[in-house]
Amino acid sequence: MATRARTDEKTLGSEKLREALVGYGFILLPLASFFVFSIYPLIYALYISYFDWGALGKIDNVGFGNYREIFDDFLFRKALKNTLLYTAVVVPCQMALGLSMAVIVNQALRARTFFRAAFYFPSLASSAAITAIALYLLSSDGLLNSIIGSVRGETYAHSWFGESSTALQSIMGLNIWTTSGTMMLFYLASLQSISTDVYEAAAIDGAGSWRTFWKITFPLLKPGHFFVAVISVIGSLQIFDQAFFVSGGGGGPNYSTMTIVLYLYNTAINEVRFGYASAVGIVLFVIIFTLTLGQRLLFGRAESA
Amino acid sequence: MTTGDSESRLPPVPPVVAAEQLALEGETAAGTPPPPSLPGRERADTVRRILAYVGLILISILFFVPFLWSISTSLKSLPETAGFNFLPAHPSFRAYDSAITSFNFKRYFANSVFLATVVTMTNLFLSSLGGYAFARLRFPGRELLFMLVLGTLMIPNELRLVPIFQMLTDSPVFHLHLIGTYQGYFLINLVGATTLFLMRQYFLTIPKDYEEAAKLDGAGYFKTYRRVMLPLAGPALAAVTILTFQGTWNDFFWPLIIFLGDESKYTLPLGLFQFRTQYQTLWPQLMAASVIAIVPIALIYVFFQRYFIAGVTAAGVKG
Repeated sequence: MATRARTDEKTLGSEKLREALVGYGFILLPLASFFVFSIYPLIYALYISYFDWGALGKIDNVGFGNYREIFDDFLFRKALKNTLLYTAVVVPCQMALGLSMAVIVNQALRARTFFRAAFYFPSLASSAAITAIALYLLSSDGLLNSIIGSVRGETYAHSWFGESSTALQSIMGLNIWTTSGTMMLFYLASLQSISTDVYEAAAIDGAGSWRTFWKITFPLLKPGHFFVAVISVIGSLQIFDQAFFVSGGGGGPNYSTMTIVLYLYNTAINEVRFGYASAVGIVLFVIIFTLTLGQRLLFGRAESA
Repeated sequence: MTTGDSESRLPPVPPVVAAEQLALEGETAAGTPPPPSLPGRERADTVRRILAYVGLILISILFFVPFLWSISTSLKSLPETAGFNFLPAHPSFRAYDSAITSFNFKRYFANSVFLATVVTMTNLFLSSLGGYAFARLRFPGRELLFMLVLGTLMIPNELRLVPIFQMLTDSPVFHLHLIGTYQGYFLINLVGATTLFLMRQYFLTIPKDYEEAAKLDGAGYFKTYRRVMLPLAGPALAAVTILTFQGTWNDFFWPLIIFLGDESKYTLPLGLFQFRTQYQTLWPQLMAASVIAIVPIALIYVFFQRYFIAGVTAAGVKG
């Protein structure tokens, strides 16, 4: 008896070992890929951000020199200012528009699947194609100017992306249009996690729909708000494609569309200042990491409350 | 929420909600059923409904006019674009012809299809295999490694730019030169953490009975994965396919870094960029090219909307 139990234990043990080995085998390639192309780059970028590093490699150890230079750098400050302004405008607009669309689509309406699909549509188009469309619509002889012109009764030929006073604002408008649909989807998923019992109770209490929304739905969407806010903030801080496309990579006119990532790209690829570009990346990473961590903490609180 | 060791630590945020909804057969993110109506409430309901419809139609117009306008322009001749006519006077596909033949859009299109197809296949295989292991197989450090995988989502692309650019220019150890090659692009896009997350979440929702039956039949882990788990994971695989295909098709950042300067490797977004910098006011051609870049994804969207929406919501874990 005792021998049998021992062999059982033994086969059980080897079975466990086999399962573990197979498990490691199955995740080997994905893990290797994450280590080589995500975790190692993070460490490497942190390392070379302390060096003056060019095309041929290490030039000089500059310590915090790159970081000090960043904050004295006129162009970086311009890029930071543009990016923060962009984020400050786009995030609230995306959230408000996304939530409004989600609430409307969430009603028991005919054809709501159609409308949901329609609202999401701009989000799935290629950023390059959609920016090309925006360039056309907002060109000096584009649709927007034609509409303004016909309202005013005179020809209007403002080049929205061509003037430094409106270029960044035009990108803001473009991205509010294209990504609000994604925020709508996140809000819809959140709306669905609210139990219908709550609404039934509110209906029996005689609360109107406006009141029900502000007193019940809106507060219950708390985790959704945080989630959407963080996704939107992170996406906005990383704005690149549209700025690159509109300005041809230079961040013009007059650096009005220079963003942090565009600046990073230029210092890395065009100026081949790998160390300095990495320092810019680390600064952005710290900002994003802090915000994501903040979301985690706030979530924890929202959950336990 | 389904049960699972690490599940309690994840907040019920939209991605998790969506991954689970994918497992249900119904519509994803379809909406909350209406509250029961009370007598005397019908009038308020009607008003609310009318307001909702007005809102829907206004937003739809605002959202669609740009697309319709660009399609209309792509069918016009250049002189006609200066006008304000919504419908082209003499619609023709000349702009498409010229975009396809004179600007090499055929090549860009083929490159886009090729890149998106290969990346989708490697993602399907590796994320389902890895997702199965993370969901079902027990091995020390599983939860920690999974957290690590999710953690990589916080590392922004821009930060990876310099190290990956250097790595592809002259890889450590093997000294490969992969900048400007398709292989370089495939290598850095083998598998995404979001797709792995999506597959794992989905596998967690599948009852264990199926595997136990396979186990009694003496099936090994790989056979169980291939014969039992994969056939049950259809919706999640569909979501991963669509998500990865669309992401690669629309990708602007990495093709720009890897292929810039070598026109024969350009994908549609890079082709559009080149077009815009060189011939910027040939509006009918530019709009035709944009339409070509959008239509394939739009078609996939029309037919597989449900997986699209669940996939995007679940992929929101990216951030």
